[in-house]
This record gives sequence, C-alpha cells and structure tokens, in this order.
Amino acid sequence: MFRETVSLSGSFVAVDTLSVEAQLVERAKAQDEAAFEQIMSLYADRLYNYILRMVGNATDAEDLVQETFLRAYQGLPNFDGRASLGTWLYRIAANLCIDHQRRRARRVPTVSYSAHDDEDGEATEWDFPDQQTPNPLDAALNRELEAVVEEAIGKLSPKLKTVLLLYDVEELSYEEIARVLGIPIGTVKSRLNHARTQIQKAVAAYLSDAPVPTRAPSAK
Amino acid sequence: MNCKRFEQQIWAYLEGQLPSAQAQAFEAHLQACPRCQRQWAAAQATYRALRALPRHRAPENLAVQVRHRMAQPSARPRVDWARVWRRVALAPALGLLTVAVWWGWQAQQPNAPINTAAEDPTESLVELHEQLEVADWSPSPTPSYFISTGYTR
Repeated sequence: MFRETVSLSGSFVAVDTLSVEAQLVERAKAQDEAAFEQIMSLYADRLYNYILRMVGNATDAEDLVQETFLRAYQGLPNFDGRASLGTWLYRIAANLCIDHQRRRARRVPTVSYSAHDDEDGEATEWDFPDQQTPNPLDAALNRELEAVVEEAIGKLSPKLKTVLLLYDVEELSYEEIARVLGIPIGTVKSRLNHARTQIQKAVAAYLSDAPVPTRAPSAK
Repeated sequence: MNCKRFEQQIWAYLEGQLPSAQAQAFEAHLQACPRCQRQWAAAQATYRALRALPRHRAPENLAVQVRHRMAQPSARPRVDWARVWRRVALAPALGLLTVAVWWGWQAQQPNAPINTAAEDPTESLVELHEQLEVADWSPSPTPSYFISTGYTR
C-alpha cells in the first residue's frame, strides 16, 4: 500500500515511500509545518475516501478527516515509528469513525443487516460465465450495481465495514489492518468474509431481479 | 465438496489463495451445481464492484481548514506524559517484580543444612545413632532398687 510508483524520465521506478515518510515525520516533529502539509497531501484523499464510506455523509467525513490530521499533529511527539505513518493515520481515523458511529447510534437507531438472512428461494437461472469470453457481469458493473454495493456497505456494522473498506477499497494488507485495528489477523479475515458475504447477498438479490442477459455483451 | 464448503471457500478462491487440490474440488463443484453458480456470479460481481468503487477526493480546502485548526493554541503538539511515564516506569517496575518473585521463592525454600541431611540417608542414620547414644535413658529398676526403696506389691 505504501509503496508508490513514480514516472521518472519515461520509465517507472519503484520508490520506497517509507523512508520518505520517515523523513517527513522527523521534520514535522521538529515543527516543520511544510512537512506536515506534505503528509496531509499524501493521505488526505485516502483518509477522506475511507471516512466518507464509514460515516456516510460528506460533512461528517470532512470534519473527521480534519480531526484525524489535527490529532496526528498533536500526537506527533508520541509517534515512535513502530507502525508506519499510514497505519498510524488509519488507526486514528478508524477510532474516530467508530466513536462517531457510537455517538450516532445513541441518537438514531440503525437497522442491522443480519449475517444470517435467508437465502433467496427464487430459482433464477444464471449462466455460469465462460472464462474465455467477457463476463456478462462486467456489463452489470454499472451505476446501479455500484449503488447496490454502496448501500450494502452502508448497512454493515462498523466493525465489518472498516475491515472491508480497508482491505477491498484502501487495499491494505491483512497485517496492516490487524495493526490499524489492534485485532488478530484471523479476526481480520473472518470479518472480511462476513462483510463480503453480506454485500454478496445484496448483489445476488439485485442480480436475480435484474433481466438475465441472454448473450454476453461485447467488451468495451 | 458440498455447497456450504463452497461458500466458505469462495473468497479464498477468488483471491487465488486456495491450494490446487482444493481449487480443483471447488471448480468441480462449481461446474456441477447451478445454485453455487449463482453464488459464484454474485461473488464475482461483488468482488469487482468493490474494487471498482469510485474514489472520493478530499475537499480542496481541507489543508486550509486543518492549518486553521492547527493555529489554535490548544492544538499545539503535546507530549503524552502519561504514556511516557508508563514506559519510563515499566523497566524499574519489572525489576522490582523480578526481585520480589525471587525473594518470595527463596523464602519458601527449606534451610540448606536440613535439606542436605535429608538428602543423605547414611548421614541421617549416623545422626540418629548418635542421638540414641546420648539419650537420657532412665535406669531400669533392678532388684536392689526395689529393696532400697522398700517397694513391695
């Protein structure tokens, strides 16, 4: 996740951003505000993307990203570099999101999405996709399916949602997520499977209602 | 393989994490089971949709807002002294604990000489013999004793 590829004279060179980040952290610790701004520019979009889906609205997300950076700034003297900068920032953001969800849950009761919903009994035929031809489901990955997935993500419990977003959207590894959330890797995998299965059920319901494609559409 | 097992392995298969033997069993079941084919199609769509979700960009003025909040006196970086103290105090606390445990263990051990004697049966027999020899045995009453004391039945 924290490795980036940059273009240099037409060729792609892998740059280890960890050492760059370590230097930025040291400078920021020494009250170099420009260094902290660079840290913000590196992580603002990633954190906002994660937090927005965690809390579900832009106003709260913006406020929480600001709060994440503010807490990081205040906590810099205590950052010892044992975790990577990204892991540390995601940890602050995850904790803020969970606190935010708890506060909101006290105000507005939310509908939980059961992990043991009954299977859809409808016997809808769905041709198994041939690996040699374009998957007809590629065509279904449109705005409608995206909306179904976003809605299903919004219904996940915070614990499942945070693991799903960190792995499938933010592309952190199991180990990084375990460090961010302070849970064992086995728990990360288990929560990820539960979360995906819940999304899958929403998608399956959507697919069973959608018209079945008779022929694979041509790839665009 | 049954459908339940298939569902359990569906994400591992999608990410190529199944060993080849299990992957083959998974594929064989997939070919034969229409219900699991629907599950598979939904799982594939889910997996791809999750990874194709649009990425939201942070608002343009985010850095300005954070800078503004950072400028507040209460927002200055601060050392978490409680955390520092926990770390500083940890080493001597562990040292004290070790000494206390060692001392307690030592206090429970029996005295070394008794322990040594108990471990050497020959030596303990000699000691017992010596104790028997120096014991204050009361003299057995003899006939002259009875005469001198005028004891009669």
